Formats: sequence, C-alpha cells, structure tokens
Amino acid sequence: MSALARICESVEAHARFVREQIRRAREDSKFRAALLKRWRAIRASIATVQTPTGIELPTLALPTSNDPGEIARYLFGEGFPGEFPFVNSIYREMYLPGSGGRMPEEPTRLFAGLGLAEDTNERFHYLTQHQRSIRLSTAFDGPTLYGMDSDADGVFGKIGEGGVAIDTVEDMERLYDRFALGDERLSVSMTINGPAPIILAMYVAAAQRRFGGKVIRKLRGTVQADILKEVQAQNEIIFPLEASLRFLADMVAHTTEHLPRWYPISISGYHIGEAGATPVQQAAYTLSNGFTYVELFRGRGLAVDRFGPRLSFFLDCGLDVEYVALARVCRKLWAIGMRDVFGAGEAAQRLKLHTQTSGRSLIALGFKNNLTRTAIELFLAYLNATNSCHSNSADEPFTTPGEEYVRLAAHAQSILLEETGLFRHMMNLFTGSPGMRILEETLEKAILEEFRTIDRLGGVLAATEQRYQRSQIQEAAHLYEQQTGDGTRPIIGLNRYPASTESFVEPKVVRTPRSRKQLQVDRLRKFKHRHRHQSARALDELAGVVESGGNVFAELLKTVECCSLGQITGRLFEVVGRFRPSV
Amino acid sequence: MAASVRLLTAVPICDGHDSAISTINLEFIHHGIEVVYLGYHRSARDIVRAAIQEGVDAIGISSYNGGHVEFFAEVVALLKKQRAAKIGVFGGGGGTITKADATIMQRKGVDRIFFAGTPMEEMIRFAREAYGGRRRRSVKLPRFSAGKRKTMAPCIGITGPGGAGKTTLIDELVLRWLKVQPDARIAILSHDPSIVGKGALLGDRATMIYSQDDRVFMRSLATRGRAGGLSPETAQWVRTMKHGGFDVVFVETVGIGQEAMPFRSKLVDKSIFVMSADYGSQLQLQKIAMLDVADIVVVNKGDLAGAPTAVAEVGRRIERGRSGQRVIATVAKRHRDPGVDCLFEELRS
Ligand code: B12
Repeated sequence: MSALARICESVEAHARFVREQIRRAREDSKFRAALLKRWRAIRASIATVQTPTGIELPTLALPTSNDPGEIARYLFGEGFPGEFPFVNSIYREMYLPGSGGRMPEEPTRLFAGLGLAEDTNERFHYLTQHQRSIRLSTAFDGPTLYGMDSDADGVFGKIGEGGVAIDTVEDMERLYDRFALGDERLSVSMTINGPAPIILAMYVAAAQRRFGGKVIRKLRGTVQADILKEVQAQNEIIFPLEASLRFLADMVAHTTEHLPRWYPISISGYHIGEAGATPVQQAAYTLSNGFTYVELFRGRGLAVDRFGPRLSFFLDCGLDVEYVALARVCRKLWAIGMRDVFGAGEAAQRLKLHTQTSGRSLIALGFKNNLTRTAIELFLAYLNATNSCHSNSADEPFTTPGEEYVRLAAHAQSILLEETGLFRHMMNLFTGSPGMRILEETLEKAILEEFRTIDRLGGVLAATEQRYQRSQIQEAAHLYEQQTGDGTRPIIGLNRYPASTESFVEPKVVRTPRSRKQLQVDRLRKFKHRHRHQSARALDELAGVVESGGNVFAELLKTVECCSLGQITGRLFEVVGRFRPSV
Repeated sequence: MAASVRLLTAVPICDGHDSAISTINLEFIHHGIEVVYLGYHRSARDIVRAAIQEGVDAIGISSYNGGHVEFFAEVVALLKKQRAAKIGVFGGGGGTITKADATIMQRKGVDRIFFAGTPMEEMIRFAREAYGGRRRRSVKLPRFSAGKRKTMAPCIGITGPGGAGKTTLIDELVLRWLKVQPDARIAILSHDPSIVGKGALLGDRATMIYSQDDRVFMRSLATRGRAGGLSPETAQWVRTMKHGGFDVVFVETVGIGQEAMPFRSKLVDKSIFVMSADYGSQLQLQKIAMLDVADIVVVNKGDLAGAPTAVAEVGRRIERGRSGQRVIATVAKRHRDPGVDCLFEELRS
C-alpha cells in the first residue's frame, strides 16, 4: 500500500484509539484513576502569573471539564502542548516570557532582500537592531532565483528587484557582513529553490572564508529547497525533476552529516496558497509533498530520525476561516504519519512551522487597509502556535517594502505578542472552542480526501507529472478572481465601499538604480576574469561528479570558490538538461 | 469561423508569477479569443519571435518581478526591428507597475497597462476593441522565417493519444537536430483542441523549450473540435512549410482516439505513432488503427515498470501488420535518452 493510503489509515486508526481511551476513561475505573492522577499532576505543575491589572491566571489554559472522557479526549486527541499529536503546539512553552521577562527567542522573522548584497545587509541590520535573537530571512532577485548571472542576456532590468542579486561567493560574504554566522542566537533563512544547493554551498563557503572551517558545524538556518511545490506552484525549478531531487537528496545527506543544525528543506504551502489554492488544497499538497521527501530520503539510505528533525514547514495565513485551525490539523496529520507510517521518533514527529501572512489578500486600492488585514492574519498565525512568523508590509502589492511599512509590520508582531495580553500570560488562550473543533474535523476530513485522490493518481510524483495539483490550484485561483469580480467575496475598498479613484495614492516604491545594477555586472565580470584559469577545470570536475553519481553538494562547495552561479547552472544544464514546464 | 482576436501571452524572464495570466487566459478564451500561451520565465526575444511566427494581433505580458519598464520597451523595440510594429503590446502586473511607470511605458509604445483591481470584463473589452478585426490571417511565412534549402522538405507526422509525450518528443528531436546540424532550419506545425466556447488555448510552445530558437519556425493551430485532430488550415500550412526552405517539417496532431488515422492522402512523408507504455490491455492494442499504418511506433515512458512487456507486445502486434514498420522505446522526458537518439538517427537517415 502506498504511503498516502497508509497515512489515511493511520489517522483513522488514531481516531479509533482516541475513542477507545475516552470509553475507557468513562467505563474502566482503574484506567480512569490513573488518568485523573496524571491530570491532577499536570494541573499542579502549571505556574500562575499576575497580569498588570492584578488578576491571577494559569500560564496554560486546560479544559475545565472534570469529565474523564473529556480529559482523555484532550490528552490523547489533541495532546498536551509539546505532546503527541501536537495539535496545540510542538513545545510546552511558546511565546511566554522567560526569566528576564521577555521571550527567549522572538518568533519574528522578516523576509527581506533588495538591491545588491550591501543594500540587503543594511536592511538586515536595520530589522534586527532591537532583537536579541537574529533571524535573517533572505529574498533573492529573479535572476538568482532562476540560476542566472547578472550579466546574462536580457536580465539587466531585474537585477536587485524583488530580492537581492547574488552571483558569487563574494556577494555572499557581503550579504551577511557584520553578522556572526556561528553564533548560537543567529539563524539565516534563504528562499531559494531551483539553484538551492549552489546558493547554500556559497553560503557555507562564505562562512568558512570569514570564520574558518570550524564554523560549519555551528551554522544555523534554513534553505527552502522544496522543489515539488516549485513544479506545482512557484515555478522556480530549473533542472528536470529527477535531477533536482537528486541534487536535493545530496544536499540533505551532506547537511545531516556536516551541518547538524541546518534545516535543509522548508516544505512550503505558502506558495501553493498564494498561487490560489484553497487552504485545504494547500495543507493536503504540502503534507503529501513532505511525506514524499521522507520516502525519498529514506530511499537514499538516510535514517528518518537523523533527517526527520531537520525538516521544517512553511504555511500561509490568510483571511479565510480555515486559517483559524489549519496549522493545528497539519501538525496532527504530520505527527501521526511520521510516527505510525515511518516509525519516526518524537523529534521528527514535530512539525516545525514558519508562517507568513497572505500577500494575495493585500490590496492595492486603499492599501492602508492592509495594516488591518495583516494584523488579523498575524493573530491567526499565533493562534496556531507558529514557531516563527513573517508579517507583510502594507505596501506589499506595490513593492519590496519601504522602511516605514517594514517597521509597522515588525511592530505589529511586537504589539500582538508583547503589548497585548493575548499571548504573553497564558498559552492556548483560545483553543478548544466548539467552533475550532468543528473546523478541525472538517479540515481533517477534506485533507484526507485529497490524499486519497492523489493516491489514486499514483502518488505525489505521478500526480505532479500529470499536472494534478497545478490544475486544481489554477482552477481555485480562477474561481477566487470570479468571486472577487461578482462580489461573492467582499473586499473592502475594492468591490465593497470602494474609494473614489481620484483619491487613489501609491506608496513610494523601492527600486534599484541603474548604477547599482551596473556595479553588480562589473564586479561579476571581474570575478569571472580573475578565476578564468580555474573555472573551466572546476566545472569539469563538477560535471564528472554528476555523471559518476557522487555527492554533488560536496563538490559544489569547491566549485563555488571560483565559479559564478550562472556558470555552474549552465554547465549542469548540459549534463542533466533543463526543466520542461507544463503550464 | 476564425476567432476574431488572436493573442500571445507570457510572463517575462526571471519571473514565475503566472497565476494572474493563467486566470486571464481562461477569461480570454471563454470570451472567444484565441490565446497562444508561451508560459513564464520568457525572454523578450522568445516572446517577439513567437508572436511573429504565430501571427498574433497583440502580445499580453504579465510582469511582477520588476524591471518592467525595460522589459516592455525591449519587446516593443524588437518588434519594430523585425518590422512587426503592428503587433500590439499590453499587460499588467498588479500594483508593481505604478501609474508613473505605466505613463512612461505607454510613451515607449505600450498600448495599455492594467492596474491592480481592474475587472476582467474591462480587459476583454479592451482586447476586442483594440485588436479585433485588425487583419486577415493568411497562410504565409513571415519574413526572416524561411530557410535556405532549395528542395522540398520531408514532412514527419506525429500523432498518438493525449499525454503520450508527443510534444516533448518533438522538442527533444529539435534539440538534437539543431546540435548536429548548425545550419538546420526546422518547421513545426502544432495542433491544440479548442476548449468549449469559442476561443482556444494553444499551450504547446510553453513546453517546447528547445524549439524557441531563431532556426525553428513554429505555428500553433486550433482544431476547433474538428475530428481527426487537425485543422482546416492544416493542408495549406503543410504545403507552405514544405516549400519554405526547411530541412524538416514536423506536424503534431492533437491527442487522438483509438480509431483515428489523422494523416490522409500523402499529407506527410513519414508518420510516427507515439504511445505510452501504460496503454492497458492487449485488447486495447488490437483496436489502435494507427498501429497498422505508422512508419514508426514509439513506445514512450520506457521507464515505467511494464515497459519491456509493452514493447514486446507492440512488436508482436505490428508483425502482423504491414512490413517495414519499426518500434522504438523512448523516455522522452529524460535528458539525452538513447531511445530518442535512436529515433533521431532513424529520421535523419
Ligand atoms: C501571488 C504572489 C506570489 C506567488 C506567485 C504564484 C504564482 N504562480 O503566480 C508566490 C508566493 C509564489 C510569489 C513568489 C514571489 N514573489 Co510574489 N507576489 C504575489 C502577490 C501576493 C500577488 C500577485 C497576484 O498574482 N495577484 C493576483 C492578480 C490576478 O491580480 P493583480 O496582481 O492585482 O493583477 C491585476 C491586473 O494588474 C491585471 N493583470 C495582471 N497581469 C496582466 C497581464 C495582462 C496581459 C492583462 C491584460 C492584465 C493583467 O489582472 C489583475 C486583475 O485585475 C504579489 C503582491 C500583491 N498583493 O499584489 C507579490 C509580489 C508580486 N511578489 C513579489 C516578489 C518579490 C516575489 C518573489 C521574487 C519573492 C522572492 N524573492 O522569493 C517570488 C518570485 C516568484 C517567481 N517564481 O518569480 C513582489 C514584487 C516586488 C517588486 N516587483 O518590486 C510582490 C509585489 C510582493 C512584494 N511586495 O514583495 N509571489
């Protein structure tokens, strides 16, 4: 039986197990006594806290019912925070202040990238100036995302737009300048997919240049590298799928061994959602992609408990009602699948989650309303106990955010977590409501239904090749636009209470000046010229490793020392071909 | 009846934001417009070449990753250079193309930019009014497109059920041809079924990455539901292409059913029937009419588990048919596939 079918069965088996525990809690007195004893111990272990207004509250909200059946349902069905199946959260404490009265590590992680490496470096320092933990999240420009050099034909206008231009290991050194890359409290995330192994190799090489070889084991961070959702939604796969998956597996094999604190893949639903998928489709495709990677890496001889804890997830959070509970359901399905189908231990059962508020829900007309939209989405993201979060800026429909709107977006998170009383006194303040439970059940059923459909198509890889996910997403996107058009989806300021077009204002946009673009081209050319004697040989060696089946990532660590991104992808295209899109 | 408006749509180089254009394509075709879709991450050169070859009235570009002022200007300039300035250029990119940008772009020759929040009806109305009834499409090779060969080009017909991999196979053959013969000129006539309604979405170009080359002339025709997988214009185009100085002409039909035999009355010189290795039972095999007449049968997706059996079964089925037929197993989606190499050699010899 295929993995997805087995996961569906395991989820059903788990539901039966929970029902059985509820029954025993109600009918089996010995079982009940033990359960209530445990429950009392849990209760007693929960600290209390005083709010500024002087009332006293427990730091964790537990069901108030004394019905043993309800208690069993909570403990086995949802799991105490930090316990299987992790519906409430993967850790016991989430955003509660630590001993110093502040959170040990802020969950805020803002995605940024603009202009050249130095410009983005400056933005990173601006964003993290007040943070104790440094969480950098890097957006690359179009040419970098597609593995092209800045001096390639026809890309000049795109240099440094929508992200940072990176061509060489030297750019990578500039990008994270004045950050201590081996530091405990620093982590770097990179949103790159098609050329992910090359870019990560540049990062490792740059870190090594700056801090020596010892830093490598200490490097903390994430590279997106989720190639399946590129085929399905984001369109940044550049090599054929088979070759892409092999490069990915090589990278995972290498980081698991040599960069033990690195997350080599971020299994992403965000792009699926933003491309237009419904929340159920987003969850179903993302989770099924995740399970496919698990099978793939196991097929490479990696142990699930080695790489499993290094998988991470990335979900969207929009304004549709599903987002009240979507991540909660995802955590549960992942945990059950990992434990019961793949035999994973607890660390690998935990779905580590980054959330981004929805860009697509942000509207150009009357764009300041986007502050409100994002604030609501942020609340939902934290309600779902996300481990880190990006909040979009109000100028999202127009541009890489300007400083003013970035600051507002970052402050929105601080206001929610530090200023309001919603998350800082008590964990799980809102969970367990009847509405939330109804949603969870509905979502779970619908996601499993999608799993079965994908399974019938022959599994994730076959369905992807048949364009199943793509066509479903496109259909949902079309419907969304139709609903916006006919008003069944009210959007304030657009199809309801529209502002007059005369009063329409645009924010200031962030663009990269021509002279900066030219600088990038010039220094890339100099780099190529300086390394002209080494590069041809390095590329030959790389091609040799690809042909002979060696670990491509290990070789890339050497190649990036003297070759640019475009030189490397160019050579790899010759060996493995190009991705053939099916639109 | 030919559709009154024919457009080419695409997303610029280094940009994969295709959600907007996918929706807009659907809206266009539901409203009777014919759309040749080139896909995302496409250079200005690829876009302009395709627009001229396809004889469209206008190019619609959806751009999100910045650099739109330069990109649209490049498209307009290239059109002018190719003496195809009559092809219109329009597009959108949500809020990323500001009002001020749009003004500059229009000054540089772009007809219209659609800002975020524009209702779909407005775009359809614009396309019809600005580009409808502009000119009659004739079966003629555009200047620059013809090859230099003096003799008539051999014409290879490729047919088979939908999803068997015909398009990929042709593109892989083109890749080899261009590599082996640097002065080669190739023509491709591709067919796409129309969707319900009056328009058509012609999407083969997006998949044929190696065929977007100055040495390749490609034209996409809508079959408008006509039986046989070809279009009323097919014969005329084939004739024009054969005499166009090309080294080879490929004709690809839409996906066909079991009984169909699309190539009649010497339309092509050689016919290839492409089928997937997972065709089902032997009984199914008996019913496939093309197996009796195709010069070459390609069993694609040779990486599937049942492929060796499939090849053997097809071989036996053919032995009972007419002589001289060949069966070749391929994995067209695989780079440098030896099966495709073998087919290529067969066609070149
Ligand atoms: C959806 C989206 C994505 C999805 C795309 C999924 C997909 N397959 O399309 C995902 C999440 C994958 C994505 C990724 C990225 N994105 Co994005 N994305 C958006 C978003 C949220 C919406 C765009 C959209 O599709 N809207 C829906 C359409 C239907 O509506 P519309 O845009 O308003 O367009 C209207 C008109 O303009 C018109 N129109 C549009 N095109 C055309 C064409 C024609 C011919 C016509 C007639 C009309 C027309 O029709 C629409 C209806 O009125 C925008 C921000 C925003 N809120 O607008 C950012 C945005 C476009 N993305 C941006 C960026 C930077 C990226 C990335 C580069 C980020 C990175 N560094 O990794 C990547 C690149 C992806 C890639 N492969 O190229 C930036 C661009 C910034 C800039 N130019 O300076 C934006 C503005 C967000 C931001 N502020 O940072 N993105």
